[in-house]
Parts: sequence; C-alpha cells; structure tokens
Amino acid sequence: MRWLVVAALALAASAANAQVVFAAASLKNALDEVVFLYPGEGNTRPVVSYGSSSSLAKQIENGAPADLFISADLDWMDYVEKKGLLAPGTRRNLLGNQLVLIAPRSRPVKLQPAPGFPIAAYLKNERIALAEPGSVPAGKYARAAFEKLGVWEQISGKVAAAENVRAALLLVARAEAPLGVVYQTDANAEPDVMVAGVFPADTHAPIVYPAAMLKGAKPGAGALLEFLAGAQARRIFEKHGFSVSP
Amino acid sequence: MLEFSARWRKGAFALDASFQTGPGITALFGRSGAGKTTVLGLIAGLARPDAGRVSVDGRVLFDSAAGVDLPAHRRRVGYVFQEGRLLPHLTVRQNLLYGRFFNGHGKGVATLEQATALLGLGELLERRPANLSGGEKQRVAIGRALLADPGVLLLDEPLASLDAPRKAEILYYIERLRDDVRVPIVYVSHSLDEVVRLADSIVLLSEGRVLGSGSVLEMTGRVELRPYLGRHEGGAVIEARVAGQDLDSGLARLEFAGGALEIPDVEALPGEAVRVRIRARDVSIALSKPAGLSIRNVLAGSVAALEEEEGPSLDVKLDVGGTPLIARITRKSARELGLRPGLPVFALIKSVSIDRRSVGYA
Amino acid sequence: MLTPAETAALLLSLKVAFWSVAASLPFAIALAWLLSRARFPGKSLLDAVVHLPLVLPPVVVGYFLLVLFGRRGPIGAFLDESFGVTFAFRWTGAALACAVMGLPLLVRAVRQSLDAVDRGLEAAAATLGASPAWVFATVTLPLILPGIVTGMLLSFARSLGEFGATITFVSNIPGETQTLPLAIYGFTQVPGGDAQALRLCILSIVLSLAALMASEFFLRRANVRAAGRDA
Repeated sequence: MRWLVVAALALAASAANAQVVFAAASLKNALDEVVFLYPGEGNTRPVVSYGSSSSLAKQIENGAPADLFISADLDWMDYVEKKGLLAPGTRRNLLGNQLVLIAPRSRPVKLQPAPGFPIAAYLKNERIALAEPGSVPAGKYARAAFEKLGVWEQISGKVAAAENVRAALLLVARAEAPLGVVYQTDANAEPDVMVAGVFPADTHAPIVYPAAMLKGAKPGAGALLEFLAGAQARRIFEKHGFSVSP
Repeated sequence: MLEFSARWRKGAFALDASFQTGPGITALFGRSGAGKTTVLGLIAGLARPDAGRVSVDGRVLFDSAAGVDLPAHRRRVGYVFQEGRLLPHLTVRQNLLYGRFFNGHGKGVATLEQATALLGLGELLERRPANLSGGEKQRVAIGRALLADPGVLLLDEPLASLDAPRKAEILYYIERLRDDVRVPIVYVSHSLDEVVRLADSIVLLSEGRVLGSGSVLEMTGRVELRPYLGRHEGGAVIEARVAGQDLDSGLARLEFAGGALEIPDVEALPGEAVRVRIRARDVSIALSKPAGLSIRNVLAGSVAALEEEEGPSLDVKLDVGGTPLIARITRKSARELGLRPGLPVFALIKSVSIDRRSVGYA
Repeated sequence: MLTPAETAALLLSLKVAFWSVAASLPFAIALAWLLSRARFPGKSLLDAVVHLPLVLPPVVVGYFLLVLFGRRGPIGAFLDESFGVTFAFRWTGAALACAVMGLPLLVRAVRQSLDAVDRGLEAAAATLGASPAWVFATVTLPLILPGIVTGMLLSFARSLGEFGATITFVSNIPGETQTLPLAIYGFTQVPGGDAQALRLCILSIVLSLAALMASEFFLRRANVRAAGRDA
C-alpha cells in the first residue's frame, strides 16, 4: 500500500514537470508528430491540449496551467497579451495556413470562391459547416472572406456553427453538410473530404499562428518553444501543409 | 368438485399428492413445510407441476399428459393469501371489484352488495388497505376472491397472522361463507381446532405426501393418524343437536346418539346442529356410575379397543351408543381397572373442559 | 426582460428536454423491464451498453450519434427513407442527443422501482383474472410510478444541461439547436459576453429548480398512493 502512494506521488511529481501546450485544434496532426520527436521520455514528454483558440484563451485567462499557447489567429493572442499573461518577449509568429472550401468526397463539387459566386444556390436548403463565426479563428476568417466576396448575407442563415474547426471538418466528412470551410491543413488530414475551392488570400486577414510562452511557465518551456520553431519541426509542419514564418 | 393429482420437486422437497374434494370446506392439513401452500400454488397456476392433472367441476386446468396448462388468469381460482395481498394503490371497493373487471359482469358467485353484507365490509369501502387492521384486510381479501367468480376458493391459513380476537372474528365470517356460498372451498391450516370447527373433510399432508383423506369425524378417529393430527390433541368429534338452553345455569343440553351432554357457552338455538370436539385427555373412565361427583357428563358405553403404545399413558377407544369416544388414562389405571374390549364402562367428561373453541356450528 | 434570442434558447431548451423525455420513456420502460424481469444471454452486456452514455465523454456520444443517426448512418438513413424523420441540424437531433444522454438515468430509476415491486401482488392480480398485460397496466405500472417520475425528472434536468453531444451531433444553430447551454457557451467565447452568459446561467438555475420542485411534489403524491395510505 505504501508503495502505491510513493509511486503515485512520483508520477504526479514527474507529470508536474511536463510542459503543457495549449494549441489550436487545427494543429492536431502536425503538432502531435512534432512533439513526439521532442527529447524526453515518459512523463516528461510535453502534453498538448487542443481546442478552439477562443476557448483556450478563455481558459488561460481563468488560470489554466498552460506553459505555451499557440493560437490560430492574432486576435486571441492579443487578448491574452492584453491580460498581461504572456512572458514578455517570447511571442513570435510560428506558422501560416490557407482557407479552403471543402465538400464531402461522396458529393464532390468545384466551387471556387470569387465575388458573388453561386454558393447560396448550391446550398439551397442545406447548411454550410463553419467553426463558430463569432469566436473561433477559422470561423472568423470564413465570415470575413464571405463578407468580402459579398455572399455572407445570403448564407448567414444557413450556417451550422461547430465548436471548433475540426468539428466542422467532421460534419463535412460525414456528409452531414454539403459544404464547409476549414484550413488547407485540415483538408489534407481528412480523406473523406475534397477541396472545392481555395479562398484568395486577400479575402481575409493573413492566417497567422502566433506562439508564446506564458508567465509562470515551467523551466524548459522556452526550450520547447525554440524546438517548435526549429528546423526539424518546420519540416514536419510544411509536410502537413502549413506555411512557416521566416 | 376439485380433482388434484400432481408431482412437483424443488431442491430437497418433493411433492407427490392426489386427492379429491367434495362439497363444502375441505381442509388441507399438515405441519409447516408439508407442502400445503405448494398445493394451492399448483391449483392456482402460480407454479407448474412436473406431471399431473388438476380439474375443477370437470374443467381441466392442468393436464401434463394432454398438454393442457391454463395460465393463472384463466383458471378462475379464487385465492385468499395468508398476507391478504390487497392492492395498496386501490381503495377497498376497487380491490373488491378488481376481479369483476376481468371476469365479465356475469352472475358470478356474489354481487358487491352480497359480499359486503356477508363480510361486514360496508364501512370499509372507501378506505385504503394500509389503514386496515389484519382482520379487516382478510375479510376484504375473501370478498375480493369471491367477487372474481371463482370455480373454487382457496384459503391459505387465513387466521395465521391474526391475534385471538381477530381469529374469532374471521372464523365467524368463514362459517357464514361456508353456509351461504356454493363454491367448494379448500382451507389450508396447521391448526386442528380451526379445521375441526370449519371443515367437512380433511386431506392430511405430510412431507409432500397425502397420508389420508376423509370426513372430519372419520379422520380424527383414525388412531394411526394421531401423530400427525397431534397426539396431544387427540380426541373425538361428536355431532349433536341442541335440545335446550338453560339461561340460569348457562349450560346447553346437547343430544346425540350416545346420550346427552351439558356444555357451557354454546351459542346456538334449540334444534340447531353443532359439532363438539372432546379431547381424549378430558375423558375419564369409571366401572360403575359414580355418585356425589361434580362431573355432569356421564355416558354409558363400552370399551371398543385399547391402543397399543409405549409410555405411561394409554388411549382407550370407547363406543358410546354407536359414537366413538377416546379416553386417555394411565396404563397403570387401565390395568388396575381390568379394561378389555367389550367391557361396559362409563365415560366421564367435565363440562368446563369443553370450551368455546371446541364447539363448531353447522 | 429577455432578449428574443434568449427567449428562443429558453423555449427551445424546454421543447427539446420535454420531447427527449417523452420519446425515450417507452424505450426506457421496456429496457428496464428486460433488465429487471427477463433472463437472456447477453443481459449484462445490454446493461453495460445502456449505461455507456453515463461514462463516455459526451463528445464521443455525439460522434456515435453522427455515425448512426446522421444522413449516411444506418439508422438515420432508414428513418429518413421510411418516415421522413431527420436529425441533421434540427431540434430533433438535439432531442435525440438529450434522450440518449438521459436514458441511463431513466432506465436506472425505473428498474430500481421494478425490482422493488412485490411480485406477490402481481400473482394475486393474476389469480383474479388479470392477464400479464393487464397486471402490468393495473398493478405494476401504478406501483412504479414514483420511480418513473424520478427518472423523468433526472432525465429532464440532464437534458436541460446537455452540451457536448448536442454541439458535436447537430452543431450550434440559433432557433434550431441552440439550447440554453449552447447559448451560454457562445457568450463565454466572445470577449465581453460574460454578463449575458451570467444572465442565462441564472435563468438555467431557476428553470432547473422549478422542474425539481414540481417533480418533487408529484413524486410525493405518487408515493402516498402507492403505499396505500388514504390520500
């Protein structure tokens, strides 16, 4: 019995040393692979918690024990910075991405986003899956793009708002929704969807993934951040379809 | 008439019994664990015999050979459970009419008014079971079974969970039931007093087997059954008629084939028939008619047989004017008196030894 | 007092919770009966499956709902073709999610009640002429009513708070699937939405309390009747 207590304490102690990364949902496949290569075994391996950048930022604001934060847009990193929660001087832009319009592989279509394009006519009575357009970066980018293209009015009532971009991806993969907007990297990761069209870069703010260390992060968090920006990590991110900031 | 024949086994207990019942009340008598409640369950369809045949008035309820097995709800067997088992979420009236609902609204054995009158349920109709006394619950249970238009009525030790005053109360109602209702009744009990008072015939059950069946008089007289009917309780039952009631002394004069008896606390009118149980240990024997004795009942008769048993006491079977009577005396006295079959003797019975419980009314 | 959007979320929550309980009730009673009275191979497996939504993460349940009841799912496609019933992005999907999440609570409560019924009373009713179906309707059902009420209360309250399975299965659509929990979540995600989130939280609490108290009242009444006391 005593051994059990000692073992549990040791486990907790060592887990307490592992870095905790809060990362945007769209980073899942790529970041898992990168973190896997980070030196360290067992309980000292970094732990990543994925979610929409909006919910992650809110959690950090309320004291969640994260060491690093990688957001899918600048707004939410600004939010956390304004609350004074970033370790000064550690913020940097890590990655870039592209916004794409996707369709289920079982109902493929070619629909290139352009001003006034017939997306509403294609949807008819069905819905388009987006991450929550009011808060989640992928949704915000999508809304901005549709507004720029002049079709937002027509489709705003047909939106199925998902909790995060991966949930939106799932809805299209299951053919629940005939169209969706996700990142290029998400489309690459999911075999059951195809890309219907790519949003021109000028229809939305640049998709930038800033990363930063948080105040009070554990020792070694800085080293992890350096690793994520390093050459080995960049190769993996590029393989998945991210663009890397110079 | 009920015809029952069944084999049934569960664990260490095995039942193998056959019997028939005549009209009136048939008592299913035996010790606890003899299988009496099991038999009722098999008749009602709450359990299935391994083999056998059960029929009521020619209507076959179960026949393993013919592949007949009527489900319980189609057997029209009225079962009065030992615990009453009234439906707690219904009023007394709703409980009474419950069986009515399923058995059509035909003539049936009784109407609600008749059952209410018979069992004194008038004041209870709108009450709920949880607020009834044990005796009240039993009466409602009987009424409910009656109103379901049964072909046979099964009463499972209805007095077992009642205290003495309630027992007397329910006994009274069951006697009325027996007299007024023309449905065969099977009455399970392990109390000989109840059985003698109420039943017309007895089926004796022991460890799952029928040891004997017949009329109450006949069965209580059979010496070999004494151990099962309760040696201590051994005695005879006499059928008599009330000749007169003396209000001064409180004694009633009962006449029967063997003579007359004076007994206190007889609640019957002249001319009515009663059944009297006389325990063997309350009967003494004299060779000549005694004088100056307080004992009022002195009957002339003769010794019919001497029981062959070990021990200090001995049962002497007497013949009193054709009516059998049993006296339990010491073996020593029997020897000293020189008792032998055929010897004329007098049977002495104290009036006060024949108490209220020993008198049954037809 | 309440904005139109808030009122819409409130009414939708009530509608979804009501229908989720109403629709799952017959299934729950049947399942409880099977688990309490029937004997068949695989019974403990059925028991475990019924309890799965209690222990699985709600998002996982939402995923399975998508796979089974989505447009291309085996059950979803069948229901669509045969009855024209769809769940995608509709309140019916929200109701289904709530029904599934609340089912274990409902089944448990009814089953416990069934286990506690005096079988002797059912036997007595049978001797009085009631067929098994009538015994259930006139004896068993009234006696398990308190358990049914308790289960419905729990399931209803669970439905009022259901989030993970709903948002995964049918996403967040105001007027169709945006129940109170989803609306509250939406406000917490928007900077400066905390005040509105708080308003809706209070509304949720008031609603749950009202539901609790009302059911407590009916539960007590049913208990009195079932125990046979004079009302």
